[in-house]
Amino acid sequence: MEPGRRAPSGRGRFPASVYRHGTEPDPRFSLANERTFLAWIRTSLALLAAGVALEGLDLPLQPQLRLAASVVLVVLGLLAPVQAWRGWARDERALRRGEPLPSPALAAPLSAGTVVAGVLVLLGLLLR
Amino acid sequence: MTRRALYDPGLQPERTALAWRRTALSLLVASLGAARLLPAQLGAGAVALGLAGAVWAVALHHLAGRRARRTTARLLRAGDLDHRHGGAHLLAGTALVTGLLGLGGLALVVHHGTG
Repeated sequence: MEPGRRAPSGRGRFPASVYRHGTEPDPRFSLANERTFLAWIRTSLALLAAGVALEGLDLPLQPQLRLAASVVLVVLGLLAPVQAWRGWARDERALRRGEPLPSPALAAPLSAGTVVAGVLVLLGLLLR
Repeated sequence: MTRRALYDPGLQPERTALAWRRTALSLLVASLGAARLLPAQLGAGAVALGLAGAVWAVALHHLAGRRARRTTARLLRAGDLDHRHGGAHLLAGTALVTGLLGLGGLALVVHHGTG
């Protein structure tokens, strides 16, 4: 991409809230952004599977702690697609405007929540 | 933008298509799981949710290939992704379906844990 090249921009592309800004970035960056979105979606599905399995398979843990861990994992699994979409949109906008990429807003709560779920599972194993 | 400036024209769309397909397969498994596990909580809604998710997943698996071919064609012709089909409809739908499966999972966990 030559510097200063004004590509025709985003007319008729969904969502307008992203494509009405700036100019076309390097296509490699847009494709990487798309793959990052998909990685968040798969992360969500993994979190949901873990949360549902804990309860659904009646794993031998202390029941209240097992339920708490399950709910934490499923709530994280619900937050992940929100992060996937909003993060994709914010990153694509930043790429189009040539701004630095924003950090993923929900990355910190998601990692903290995963640790919490792990601690709950551990306690649930010890206190059954 | 010259053709030479286009980095691995075949491989980027290909890698992205593979990421779509991995995601589609995960969604298919999750949707079938919802149809199998959720009837106790959601009744016929569970089958509807599972079926909708499965149809979306199978469609994604197919559309990933078409998207990659269009991406490649556009990159070779114009060197960018600025075309009608370069929008984010598939992303929005995928995030939505994942969120709905998540709500189903929440219903299952809360119902099972408190029931």
